Formats: sequence, structure tokens, C-alpha cells
Amino acid sequence: MKKLLSAILAVLMIVSLAACTKPVEPDKPAEEGKVFNLWTWNDEFWGFLVKYYADEKVDDFTVKKGDVTIKRTTYVSDNMAYQDALDAALLAQSTAAADDKVDMFLAEADYIIKYTNSDVTADVKAMGVTDFSNTYQYTVQAASDANGVVKGVSFQCCPSALIYRRSIAKAVLGTDDPTEVQSKLDSWAKFDAVAADAKAAGYYMIATPMDTYRVFSNNVSSAWVEGGKLNFDARISEWMDHAEKYVAEGYAANASGVWDAEKTNEMFATGKSMCFFGPAWYFNFCMGNAQDPEKGCFGDWAICKGPEAHFWGGTWMLAASGTDNPTMVADIMNTFINNADVCEKLVRNEAQFSNNQIINNKLAADTSYGNDFLGGQNDVTVFAELAKDIRFEHITPYDQGCNEGLQKYFQEFLKGEVTKDTAIANFKDYIKTAYPSVTVE
Amino acid sequence: MDKTLKSSERKSISYAKWGYIFIIPFFIVYAIFTLYPQILTIYNSFFEYYRDGLNIIGPNFVGLGNYVKLFTPNLSGYIPIVKYTINTVILWFMGAVPQFIIAMLLALFFTSTRLNIKGQQFFKTVIYMPNLIMASAFSMLFFAMFSMVGPVNQIILSSGWADQPIDFLAMKITVRSLIALMNFLMWFGNTTILLMAGIQGIDESLFESARLDGSSSTQVFFHITMPLLMPIFIYVFITSMIGGIQMFDVPQVLTNGIGTPNNTSMTLIMYLNTFLGISKNYGMAGAVSVLLFIITAILSIFVFKTIRKK
Repeated sequence: MKKLLSAILAVLMIVSLAACTKPVEPDKPAEEGKVFNLWTWNDEFWGFLVKYYADEKVDDFTVKKGDVTIKRTTYVSDNMAYQDALDAALLAQSTAAADDKVDMFLAEADYIIKYTNSDVTADVKAMGVTDFSNTYQYTVQAASDANGVVKGVSFQCCPSALIYRRSIAKAVLGTDDPTEVQSKLDSWAKFDAVAADAKAAGYYMIATPMDTYRVFSNNVSSAWVEGGKLNFDARISEWMDHAEKYVAEGYAANASGVWDAEKTNEMFATGKSMCFFGPAWYFNFCMGNAQDPEKGCFGDWAICKGPEAHFWGGTWMLAASGTDNPTMVADIMNTFINNADVCEKLVRNEAQFSNNQIINNKLAADTSYGNDFLGGQNDVTVFAELAKDIRFEHITPYDQGCNEGLQKYFQEFLKGEVTKDTAIANFKDYIKTAYPSVTVE
Repeated sequence: MDKTLKSSERKSISYAKWGYIFIIPFFIVYAIFTLYPQILTIYNSFFEYYRDGLNIIGPNFVGLGNYVKLFTPNLSGYIPIVKYTINTVILWFMGAVPQFIIAMLLALFFTSTRLNIKGQQFFKTVIYMPNLIMASAFSMLFFAMFSMVGPVNQIILSSGWADQPIDFLAMKITVRSLIALMNFLMWFGNTTILLMAGIQGIDESLFESARLDGSSSTQVFFHITMPLLMPIFIYVFITSMIGGIQMFDVPQVLTNGIGTPNNTSMTLIMYLNTFLGISKNYGMAGAVSVLLFIITAILSIFVFKTIRKK
């Protein structure tokens, strides 16, 4: 009994002491959290945050900004691992301790709608992100819910270009000038004709047909799921035929997945593939082999629009509902879309295509600016032109499963393991199992 | 109180209660982490209960609806759960047969007083080693080794055994063989050690007298070792079978979760995972789990009966 009493007394004393030492600041608005939790699936954006926003790097997962500690929680996106963990955290947000609450998280084009159309994300205008005049319209549209409430912003704009090897283009087309190359590849009919020439010259037009998937899938006129039913748009079927043809004719080096080593090996100097497709982030993030100092071919690349305008991916920062750091959420977002200095550095130092039209247009007009990786070509000029044509339409929350699933199952057909009908049936069965709410016929 | 009363009190203390107290922690842990989830799984299997994006659908009671769905043929015209059960059995069988043959041979060699192999501890450790590696890491390693641009294909190409790289991860026979090989490598050491323990438990004098009577090694094996080893052997066999039914990580990682090619290496748990992966479909996943539970329970009862008989 005595022990209990003394323990209670001790606790009371500590509490009262703590109460005394706490400074009283009546003027300050509601105290914000000292820990800012950022959820990501890789370290791309984190790298920019460390360089252009944070004051001090503590370790690979922690930085300091003022007296706030920014922590990142990262799960890989393979097999939905990132979304699984994130969903669990967001659904438990209301009961989590203030320092454990998700403050901001990143989401990709394929599944952003799942979060924007839900209460787990919050209106960023209320937090202080109000000026979207510099950003590209589609990036705002993508981060808005059905009622037009903006839930986040993107630090990049992702028009995707045709990335070609200059040396192979010279051998096949007789020129490596982006304007001339574009004039020879500006439709699928021309693209296919050049593919035959490339084959005749001992090259491949593309590394894998999976690379052309986004070009077709971004230009669909109907969504993957229409009226609750799985729907194959004509353009998706067109891609399947195109992929089949390219593998059968030997226009593609192989039928590997978009991220497979088999494909990225084609980016080495020894590679025989002429065309790749990707946005600005692709150079740094996926073309490591091309940039390899020994086996790579740095500078032997250039970009042009290609047969059709399209975009690929893009990372959005979304504000989590229940964040205890709304000011910082807004501050980070504003920094990456409206801070001219940071946006310019993203382009110049990080080979990004920023989400700030003023900066992009400035650099597009700057004849002294060039990307060394692209042999001095001013890629911003090309991307700025492409960005005008980006359409963010026919998006459903089922897109990630559909896009990835179709590629995985169709690959089995391209590799000759199953018939085309079986591959499609397997894909449909997968969708039926994975998404019980979607009717599959 | 006086001392006599105290001592009489002490005499009446039942020590049996300590036995119960000591096993309480196990039962608490069992109830929370095994029994409760098990009951919940069975309960969920009668409900429509999944997530559509971030919206939770259900739980709505559907009776045996999930089980009916489970046995409905899919668009490809087969009943998935039947096909995947067959896959699982084939994959287990391909790994288990060599595993038992090799493990039995090794166990015999190691326990043989005539061979008297030196450095037994060393070999025992080495053969057990693969079991210590996480299955998914092991699978990732094989994935990298046998990919189109992996070292195995480089060796094949550079030594001229083939002009084209072999796509090990796309062909039914090679994918299944690789899965079987990995399971074999991971588990033969464990089986060897269990069988050795079994053989060492047999009275040495029986072997000696058999040898004195002039019986050959084969005769000793079939008439003395095997019959006396039977309880242990069946135990190891059935536990391997139960483990095989739960096969998941190796094929999941090796085939990118889709059981390439044409779902021929899709196992039951991978199928269960497809339900859970995106939509957290506890209803359907529950139904698959209940079926697995029934199969496993039947096998376990069989084990129990066999051991009790001896």
C-alpha cells in the first residue's frame, strides 16, 4: 500500500513539474506535430526532399526541417505491398498516436483515384496550397476527387517520349536529328515500316512490346471497367495485336517485362534495340545501364514525340486526412510546384520535367540548356510540347491490376507458352479473383 | 496460528494445479493466435466481405455461397481450386520423392556403424544449412540465377550447349522442376536428421545379430530398419505432406505471383493470396482456408492414428 501511494505521489510530482516547465504561448496557433510521416514506395522523391527541402539529413530514412523530424516509411510497390501497408495505416489513422499518423503519402497515376475518391485524403486548399496556375492542368485533375476537391499535387509532369539510340537511328534512318526522326516515326504505320528496316539492318525496333503498352493504353476511349464490367478498349486490343506482330516478326528483342534485366540489358552499348518509351524520370531511374561508365552509351540518346502522345506514371503527394502537420504538408507541396528555384534545380540537376510551366517554358526556350545524356538535346522543349496533349481520362481504381495483370498474362502468350485466347482468359480469371466487385464475362 | 495446523494445510496442497498453471501460457497463446483466428476464418467464409478500393463491402451473410463459387468452373473452363490442388500435389511430390530417397540414404550412411563416417557433425550442419535461408530469398536467388540473362544461361551460351538462352522461368517443366529442386534442397537436411534420430532409436543389437546371421544390407534395411522406423517415417512423411500443401513462398516469388506458365505452378496458398492481395476478400479466402484445414485435419488424424497403433 505504501509503495503504491509513493508511486502515485511520484507520478503526480513529475506531472506537476512538467506542467510548470511547459512554456505558455497563447499567441501560437494549434501546436503541430514534431514528427512528419511520409509514405513512399521508393526513394526518388525522398532524394529531392533531402536535397531541396530538408535542413539536415539524419539517416536514409530521417531528415530534419526546423524542429520537425521527417520520417519516411517505404514499402516496395510489387504485388501491392505498398498499398496494402498504406491502406492499413490510413484506415487506422483515427486511432493512431499523433506522431504515428500518416501526414503525407505518395501515390502513382495507376491507383491515385483510389485515394482521392476517399475520405483518407484531405483538401489541400484548406491547408494553404492555393496556387495551381503554374502546374499542368492534368496533374491537378488527377489529384482531385469527383467533386473537384484537390487532394494533392505532383512534383513532376510525365509526358512520355520516344527515346532512341542515336547511333542505331543513323544506321537505320540515316539521321539522328530529333525533328527528322520524328517525321519518320509520327504514326504507327511509319513506325512499323521503320521496324522492318531496322530488322533488315540487324537491329530491333523495340526491346519489348511491353514498352509500347502505355502508348496505346493512354489513348483509350473507354475505361477498363465500364458500368461495373471489365471492358477491353479497342486500343488495348490493338496493342495486343501489335505486340504479337512485333514478337512474331522479330521487331522486338524479346518479350520481357518492363522492369526485367533482360530488357534493361538492351540499353547497354551492346544493345541492338532502337526505341524505348519513357518520361523524364525514366532517364535516371530506368536507364542506369545506358549511363554505365564502362558498358553504357551515355550521350548516344535523343528523344522525340513518337507515334502518339502519352504519359507514364507520375508521383503525386497526397495529404492524409487527420495529419497533425498541415502547415508542413502545404509547405512541401508549395515548394515543389511554386518555388521557382527548386523547380529549376529539379530540371537542371535531376533531369526531371517539373510541374511548373513557367520554369519549363523558360528552359525550353533556353538554347544554352541541354541534357548531356541526350547528346546535348534540350529535352524540356520536347516534353513541354508533349505535355499539352496529355489526357488523364478513363481512369478507374482497377487500373493497376488491369494494366499489370494484362502484361503479365499476355507475356505468357508472347513467349509462346499459351494461346492468345488462353492468355486473355487467364487474365480475365485473375481480374475476377482479384476484384470481386468487377463483373467479368 | 499454531504450527500443527499449518503443516496439515500443506499436506492438502495439490501439486497437480501447478501443472495446469505451467501450461496456461501455451493455451492462452494458442487461443489468441491460433484458435480465435481459426474460428474467425470459418465464420468469415460464410460472408461476402471484401474491399473495393478503400470501401469495405459487407460482411453480408451468404451461407455456402463462397464454397459454391469456389467450385464453379472459371472462364478457362476448369475449377481453379481443383487444378491448383493438383498443382500443389505435383509440386510437393516432385520435391518429396528425391528428398526422401536422398535423406534415407544419408541417414543410413551416417548411422551405419560399419561405414563410420568421419566429420558427421560437419555434414549434418551443411545439409541443414539451406533450411536456414528464408524461402523467399532462396527463391529470389534462383530467379536471378535462372533468368534469361542470369549466370546459368551465360554458362549455357558460353559453353555452346545452346545458341539461344533457355527461358527456364516460362516453361512448365523447368518452373516446376526448379520449385521442386528448391524445396528438396531446403528440406532434405531436416528429413535426414529426423530419420537419423529414428534409426538411432533402434536397438543396435538387432542390427548386430542380423549381420551375424549373415543377412545382407538390403535385407537388414527392409526387414529391420524400415519396419522399426515406420512410425517416424510416416510422421516425417505426413508432416512433409502438410508442409507441401501450404507451399507458397517459393513458387510465389519465382513466378511473380501468377504461377507461370498458364497457372501450372499456382499452388493453393497462392490462390488464397490472390483473393487477399488486392481486395482483402476474407470471405473467399476464408473458404479456401477452411478447405485446406479440412484436408490438413484429415492428414493429421491419419498421422495420429498411425502413431497410436504402434
